[in-house]
Amino acid sequence: MRRIDSREAQGKILSNIGACAILLIACFVVCLAPDKAWALQIHSSPEGLYVHQLAHVLFAFSMAVLAYWLEINRFVEERGWRLIQISCLLFLLWNLVAFTGHYVEVRIPADLIEGRAGSWNQKIMIEGDSIAVVYYFLKLDHLVCVPAILCLFFGIRDLYKRTLIAARDK
Amino acid sequence: MGYYSLAPVWFSDVVGSTLMIIISFGAVWYASRLKKAEPSNVMWMYLLVLSVALAGFSISRSVAHLAKHLMLMTGHTYLWELFRPYTGAINSSTFIVVAAVTLFFQRVQRINAQILADKIALEKATQDIGLLNRDLEGLVEKRTRELSLSEKKYRGIFEGSMDMIFVLDEQFNFEAVNPSGLATLGYDSNDKFVQLVSLNEIFFSSSDYDDLLRDLSLSGSIRDRECRVREKSGLELFILLSLTATIGDSEREKSYVGIAKDITARRRMERQLQQADRLASLGQTAAGIAHELNTPLGIILGYTQLLLRNCQESDDAYGDLQIIEKHTRTCKRIVQDLLRFTRDSETKKSYVDLVMCFDEVISFFGHQFEKEGITVESRVDPGLPKVFADGEKLKQVMVNLLVNAKQAISGNGIIAMAARLDPEQHEILISVADNGCGMSPKTAGKIFDPFFTTKPVGEGTGLGLSVSYGIIQAHGGRLEVESEEGVGTTFTILLPLSEESQLSFEREPA
Repeated sequence: MRRIDSREAQGKILSNIGACAILLIACFVVCLAPDKAWALQIHSSPEGLYVHQLAHVLFAFSMAVLAYWLEINRFVEERGWRLIQISCLLFLLWNLVAFTGHYVEVRIPADLIEGRAGSWNQKIMIEGDSIAVVYYFLKLDHLVCVPAILCLFFGIRDLYKRTLIAARDK
Repeated sequence: MGYYSLAPVWFSDVVGSTLMIIISFGAVWYASRLKKAEPSNVMWMYLLVLSVALAGFSISRSVAHLAKHLMLMTGHTYLWELFRPYTGAINSSTFIVVAAVTLFFQRVQRINAQILADKIALEKATQDIGLLNRDLEGLVEKRTRELSLSEKKYRGIFEGSMDMIFVLDEQFNFEAVNPSGLATLGYDSNDKFVQLVSLNEIFFSSSDYDDLLRDLSLSGSIRDRECRVREKSGLELFILLSLTATIGDSEREKSYVGIAKDITARRRMERQLQQADRLASLGQTAAGIAHELNTPLGIILGYTQLLLRNCQESDDAYGDLQIIEKHTRTCKRIVQDLLRFTRDSETKKSYVDLVMCFDEVISFFGHQFEKEGITVESRVDPGLPKVFADGEKLKQVMVNLLVNAKQAISGNGIIAMAARLDPEQHEILISVADNGCGMSPKTAGKIFDPFFTTKPVGEGTGLGLSVSYGIIQAHGGRLEVESEEGVGTTFTILLPLSEESQLSFEREPA
């Protein structure tokens, strides 16, 4: 079995990331003028939402996979990795919230919301079993994604501190 | 049913977006510190890339949200409508980037596990090598110590042996000789000896050397062979030689290890014993003859003297009778000497002052010797203890030795008489040395035999030294001779000290 050193591994990761970046840049260039894409097939406006929704699904899937891997590889025995796992689960949840939010958003009648768009004093009309209730709570998605990024921050910080302590002990 | 304010949504969006940007940058900052702390850890690199991707996601999303609020609040709705598709696209792209980076985890983790396993294996190998190295050092140290002890032991045997131990190269040149060997052969510097001397040079007889080489080549070793060798001054030594051929690491490297024991003293003793045996057998024969001859000689002498008394000097027979009487007396003296030599005649021992003995003997002969150009020197150690011996017989021995010394010197010469104490051997050594003609080894081996003489017929009976030998033996001592032709002769009397003499000497040391 061929041995791989850290430099070689870093090189591989960077080359993979580089390949992904080129792909993304290509996607980005296409996205610059979505209405003038010279594709053989005409892509109408709902495709943007679908792409975004699929991206949420991919994001959620990757977070679920990472949380799972951290679990089965017993990384979660360390506090830092456990926080990162929690962060993954929160991001997974956030993706579900956002995905649902986007789904609901396009189905909300425009006349339910009154006031100038973007202002803080907008109001929404909520009836008993209205979809507007779900929409209202789904719009509070930062209550999920901020704790998610916060867990990531604390997780990495904890790993950093432990690494420093281990280096000092050594 | 009713209208509800969306202010909480608005505030959570603004504040949440701001916090997302700040916290994501914090995560990137710690991840970069982590990466710097352990640059070789692939997992930290993964975390850095993940945190950067999530920061990118946070920025794209939060900036878009904040920009939306700002544009709509400031009435730039058309701007927002312009940028909205781009922000959505960028936002979607960051999701994909985050997902792509995240899904690399398993690969990165495997690589990291492999690196860690390699690192552990490397550390173990280093540890093992370290242990082996330490063991090797210990082993080398132990072997060196053992070798040193062994070398010290065998060096001690080599240096401290009373016998001669030596090593010869293939050409029989000395490579190494122990101090005892050097002392035996009369050398004082190992290097000098090794540089100058080969085995054949110290052999007295070339035929002995050739025989030795022949036997050595046939059997590979020689055991207890008696050889005659010469020391540096040329004196003959008898050694008991054992020699073994050894093969070195290379087949061509051949050397010889030898041990030799100096048996010169033993051989001298054996020779003296043989001499004593010979003298004893001769003495018994001579005693019988002398006894038988003594009576007829007495009768012949008596009748001759009777005839002389009755004869006139003018008679023809008178002269003949005188000749008969003279020779009969000579015969009678010889017979008397023989009887004195053979008979264990009674000795009257007392404490004798050797200085007085020397003085008496020298005063008796000194004048006559001086006339003939011979100087007699006397040197007696002051404080020499008295010897328990028959003084008259000792003087007789000294006279014999002096007369012999005088006869060995033709013309002018020196006779040195000396007496000294050898405290280690508890003996008194009396020596009479001359610088006369000396003797060959063959002659020196026979001088104590009765009737052996080198003098012309009629001048000596050949009994003087035999009688002297007998007298000294009767005192429990030894009479030894060392002689070199053309250089001179030294007779040495070795008399044992009586216990009383020894005590008196110890009480009053010189």
